[in-house]
Amino acid sequence: MATRPIGSGAEAELERIREGVPHGRFPAHVFNDQEIFDVEQERVFAKAWCFLAHESEIPNRGDYVTRYIANNNLIVARAESGEIHASLNMCRHRGNMMCKSEMGNASHFRCSYHGWVYKNSGELVGVPYMKEGYEGRLDKRDWGLIKVRTETYAGLVFGTLDPNAPPLDEYLGGFQFYLDLYLKQGSSGSEVHGPPDHWVTETDWKIAAENFSGDGYHTPVAHQFGFNLGYFASSGSTHSQGWAASIPGRGHGIGLGHTPGFPPFAGFPEELADEMRRSLSPEQVEVFSQTRTAVGTVFPNLSFLMQPFSIVPGEAGVRFVTMRLYHPIGPGRTEMYSWCLVPKDASEEYKREAYRAYTLAFAQAGTFEQDDLENWARVTRSAGSNMARDVEFPYVMGMDSVPDPDFPGPGHVVKPYVNDSNFRNLWSRWSDYMTGRE
Amino acid sequence: MASEKPDRDTVLDVTDFLYREALALDERRYRDWLDHLADDARYVVPLRVTREGQADWEVSPTSRIFDDDKRTLTLRVERLETDFAWAEQPPSRTRHYVTNIVADPGERADELLVSSNCLIYRSRGDSIEPNFYSIARKDTIRRVDGGLLLARRYAVIDQSVINGHNLSILL
Ligand code: FES
Ligand SMILES: [Fe+2]
Repeated sequence: MATRPIGSGAEAELERIREGVPHGRFPAHVFNDQEIFDVEQERVFAKAWCFLAHESEIPNRGDYVTRYIANNNLIVARAESGEIHASLNMCRHRGNMMCKSEMGNASHFRCSYHGWVYKNSGELVGVPYMKEGYEGRLDKRDWGLIKVRTETYAGLVFGTLDPNAPPLDEYLGGFQFYLDLYLKQGSSGSEVHGPPDHWVTETDWKIAAENFSGDGYHTPVAHQFGFNLGYFASSGSTHSQGWAASIPGRGHGIGLGHTPGFPPFAGFPEELADEMRRSLSPEQVEVFSQTRTAVGTVFPNLSFLMQPFSIVPGEAGVRFVTMRLYHPIGPGRTEMYSWCLVPKDASEEYKREAYRAYTLAFAQAGTFEQDDLENWARVTRSAGSNMARDVEFPYVMGMDSVPDPDFPGPGHVVKPYVNDSNFRNLWSRWSDYMTGRE
Repeated sequence: MASEKPDRDTVLDVTDFLYREALALDERRYRDWLDHLADDARYVVPLRVTREGQADWEVSPTSRIFDDDKRTLTLRVERLETDFAWAEQPPSRTRHYVTNIVADPGERADELLVSSNCLIYRSRGDSIEPNFYSIARKDTIRRVDGGLLLARRYAVIDQSVINGHNLSILL
C-alpha cells in the first residue's frame, strides 16, 4: 500500500517523540490527535501484523467473520479446502461491499450490485453477460478479491497489509511463551465462548493497549471497589509484586501479578492444571503456576487478561480469560471487541462459570471494565486539549531496574509488576513504526 | 399453563409495576429496585450480531452482556454504594421510557410473559450527546402475595455495535 508523505515538521516531531521514550518521556497529545491518527493508519496498522480472528470463530468450511485492518473491512473465511483466507470486502467490479454481516456461512459471495460471484477464498468465478458484454476482454483470474496475507499462532489469525513484513513468528519474537498462558490451557487449546462484545468508546486505542500491557499500578485505585468488596486475592499492600516482561524491539509486553502464598495454578480445575504441567515447557510451568494475574498486549492492538475471579467475593473462584481488540476508528475513538476464551477441554460447567465471571467483571457492563472505560474516556478528552500539546507524561518507573536473573521466561523481565518498563518498550516500538523504522 | 388472556386489571397492575420499577432505576433507588426482583430472578442481556436474514439466529445463544442473578445484581448495587464506582461518579442521568406493553399467560399459572419496548436516554456530565438504547424486553412477571415480582428479564438491545463507553446502568 502506497503511503502518503507528511510534512517535515511532523516528521521532526515524530523523531523528537521517539528520542524521548528511552528517557521516560511520552507526549499527552498522541492519545487524541487527528494527525497522529492519520499517520498511524498508514505506518502502524498498514505495516504490523494485526489480529483478525480466532480460528474457533470460523470452525467450519464456509464460516466467515468480517474484521478490520485500519479502515479496511476484510472477510476472514474458512474456504472449502479448510484454509483460512482474508480478502478485502470490496467487489472488484465497482466496489460494492460483498458481506454486509459480521459473521455467517457461505461457500460463495454474490455481489448485490451487478452479480459478480466469488468463492469465499476470493476467486472470481461468475460474471453476468461475460460473453455478450466483455467479449473476451476480462480474465476472471485477474479480478479476484484483493487478498490479505495471513498467518496463525495457536488459534490466533493475524493479517498484514505489508508484503515485506517479517513472518509472524519473528514478529511475535518470543512472546509466544507468554501467549500460551491464554491459548494453551489444555492440549486442545482455547476457543471463544461466542461472538465478541462489540461497542464504541471515546477512548484512544493506545490508552487501552498500554493499560493491558501490564498496568498493575492502576488496579488498587481504579478498581478500588474490588478490594473494598473483598474481590482480590492480593491486598493493596502486596499488589505490586510480580514481574513486567516485554520483548525488546517488538513492543509486546505482559504484567504477571503474583500474590505471596498463592497456591500453584489456583483457580484452574485440577485436570487442566495437570495437563498444563504436562504439555507446557518446565519454564512456562514455573512462571504460570505462580501467576495470579496476567495482562498483556501484542503490539499494536490485541490484548489479553487472565485472572481468578469469584462471583461472590472471597470465594475461590475460576480463571477467566478475555481477549480484546482495539480497532481505531478516529483519534480518541475506538471500536472495542471483547471475547471470553475458554479451554476447549474444560467441562461445560467450568466454561459457564468462567464466562459468568467474565461478564460480571469485564466487557462493556463488567464492573471492572466500566471503571477503566470511564477513566480512559477522561484521559482521551484531556489529551485532545490545546495545552496538552506541550505536556509530556513521565514513564520513568523502573528505569534503573535490572532484569531478574532468576526468571526463566524470555524478554526483558523486571520486578516488581508495577513498572513502566513494558510501556517504554511499547512506545519505542510505536515510535519505530511511526518514523518508518519498522 | 393458563391460556386465557390476562384481564384488564392484571394488565394495569403489570403496567404500574413496570413503571415503578423504571422509576426506581431512574431515581437511583437501587435497593428499591432490587425489591422488585424475585429471589430466583434471572437478568439476561444477550448480544446481538448483524447476520443475513436467513441466518438461524441474530441474538447470540451464548454471548451475554449481562448474565446476572439477584446475587450478582446485589453485588452491582453494593459496588455502586461504595465511593469507588468511578463509572457512575458523577452518576448517569437516565430515563427509561417503557411502552408497547403486552401481557400473555406465562409458563406457570402464577406467571405472565410480558413484552415491552424500553428506550433509555442516558446523559453524562456536561456532554450534550446522550446515549440512547432501544431495547426489546421479554419479562417474566410473577404474582405473589401482595403484588408482582420480576422473575426474569431478557432484554435485547437493538444495536449490534453498542454506543457508549460502558454500560454502567441497568436496562
Ligand atoms: S459492484 Fe459488484 S458486480 Fe458490480
Ligand atoms: Fe483496569
